[in-house]
Amino acid sequence: MTETFKYLSPEWTAEAHRRLKEQLTAEQMKNVTSSMVTLYHDCPDGKNRALYYGLVNGVVDSLTICEGEVPAAEFVIEGDYQTFASISRAELNSRAALMTGKLKLKGNMVKALSFSSVVDRLNKVLATIPTEF
Amino acid sequence: MNTADRFFIDFPARIRAIQAEMARQNIDIYLGSRLRTLSWTLDAFCPWRSYVVIPAEGLPTAFTFVIDAARVADESWLDADHVMGFAPMGGQDQIAQISDFIKANLKGGRGRVGIESGMSNYLPEGNITHYEYEAFQAALDGCELVNAYDIIDSLSLIKDEGTINRFREASRIVDVGHQTVFEAIQSGGYRGMTETEIAGLAAYAMRKAGSEWEWSYTGGNEIASGYRTGLAGGACTPATRRKLQAGEPLMVDIHAMFKLGLGDHSHNYLLGPATKRQEWHANNFVSVVDRCLKTYRAGISPASLADEMMAYCEELGCAEYMVPGFEHGIGMMGDEWRIGRNDGPFPFWTNPNHVYEAGEMLICAIQYACPEENIGFRYENPILIRPTDCEWMSKFPLKIETV
Repeated sequence: MTETFKYLSPEWTAEAHRRLKEQLTAEQMKNVTSSMVTLYHDCPDGKNRALYYGLVNGVVDSLTICEGEVPAAEFVIEGDYQTFASISRAELNSRAALMTGKLKLKGNMVKALSFSSVVDRLNKVLATIPTEF
Repeated sequence: MNTADRFFIDFPARIRAIQAEMARQNIDIYLGSRLRTLSWTLDAFCPWRSYVVIPAEGLPTAFTFVIDAARVADESWLDADHVMGFAPMGGQDQIAQISDFIKANLKGGRGRVGIESGMSNYLPEGNITHYEYEAFQAALDGCELVNAYDIIDSLSLIKDEGTINRFREASRIVDVGHQTVFEAIQSGGYRGMTETEIAGLAAYAMRKAGSEWEWSYTGGNEIASGYRTGLAGGACTPATRRKLQAGEPLMVDIHAMFKLGLGDHSHNYLLGPATKRQEWHANNFVSVVDRCLKTYRAGISPASLADEMMAYCEELGCAEYMVPGFEHGIGMMGDEWRIGRNDGPFPFWTNPNHVYEAGEMLICAIQYACPEENIGFRYENPILIRPTDCEWMSKFPLKIETV
């Protein structure tokens, strides 16, 4: 039986980090060095959580989940837990979520444009994780 | 920026001058939206809805439509971190992005925000809209929005050397366009040509000479022939598919842009054979233009000049054909209407009693129209006001040739 991971749990985060490093090459990640936080509002336990991505030369160098203070990052994408969950289940496209205001982006939009394909690739990998929402 | 370049403009100094005036008026941050403000502060052409936010200290930040932001950053003196793109996405629309930025640059997120409100006869002026005002006011809770457009208008009135040289270069390019048109239409070469073809000939020649754009919102290169030259008022003649015909007048009003400096010169022809009456009109017009150019200097006003010129037109017997105004404002791209500041009897129109100072620029603009005889002429030329005279920037010879 396939192991499933509770969404945003430390175990899920570790699995996500492993898969991202394993499945995405630096070239696929455009050798980008940047940082991004996805900020989840109203998680099922009522808390807010932040998932921090540290990207160095196209490698997902760090992926950490945190509660409380949101770490500084070049880009912050925030929205409801359910919106992110829908994206992770591939029920909702992240670009559509941004364009309908379900997600909000903070950061330089010009740089974000060139970064969007990288985020798509990240999301595709995350969508492969057997996840319990 | 190469300070030795004759087209160099000290944009950081402009920003510091704005900030000094902001401090004097207790304005904590400035939100500019007019095309003239964007050109004057950014040194980049901003065709999409754009804004510049100028904090009390430090560099300004431009905001424009995301698909054009990289190009604006490439052309502006500002780096990419000071040119932001907005888009219809969560948190990235212009109201959210700019108001977040403003709040982050104000102590406690509160303060006085200078905006640009008003009206203009020039459609692309870019004053803040009613919707934008209300949306910014709602998003900037705790801030006071105050109309502060006059800061830019005052500071941009007297032109610096780099700006003047950009206008000189744009006029040199316009003269290349005029020479090309002249060579194409002389000795009957105009036969079979259309107004749009003349516009294109001029455009191609000017582009080859370095023009970025036939910038005028009145239709790029304005070409009129026959009765269209004599339309009453006659201030806008985008080229049509009308064929040039013998025995008719031809008006060639072409525009070039060089680093946001604007060339704008109108030259006129009679497509032979010309009648004595047509030549009489042409001679009147050339005389009026010649007198007008020799009259412009510091110390006169639009009203005093108009009085003097209309009196001269009465002497010539052509006053009924003249538009009794002899100028329009000019500055870097987007500044193309009012002369001087908004201090006249009719809000946001030229003050007829504005006293010209040395260092101001304007377009010497003269319109002559006789609709009943299907004839008219237009003269436009950027001029620099000097203490005792003016410099006209297009050097194309003042005359109306019969070709």
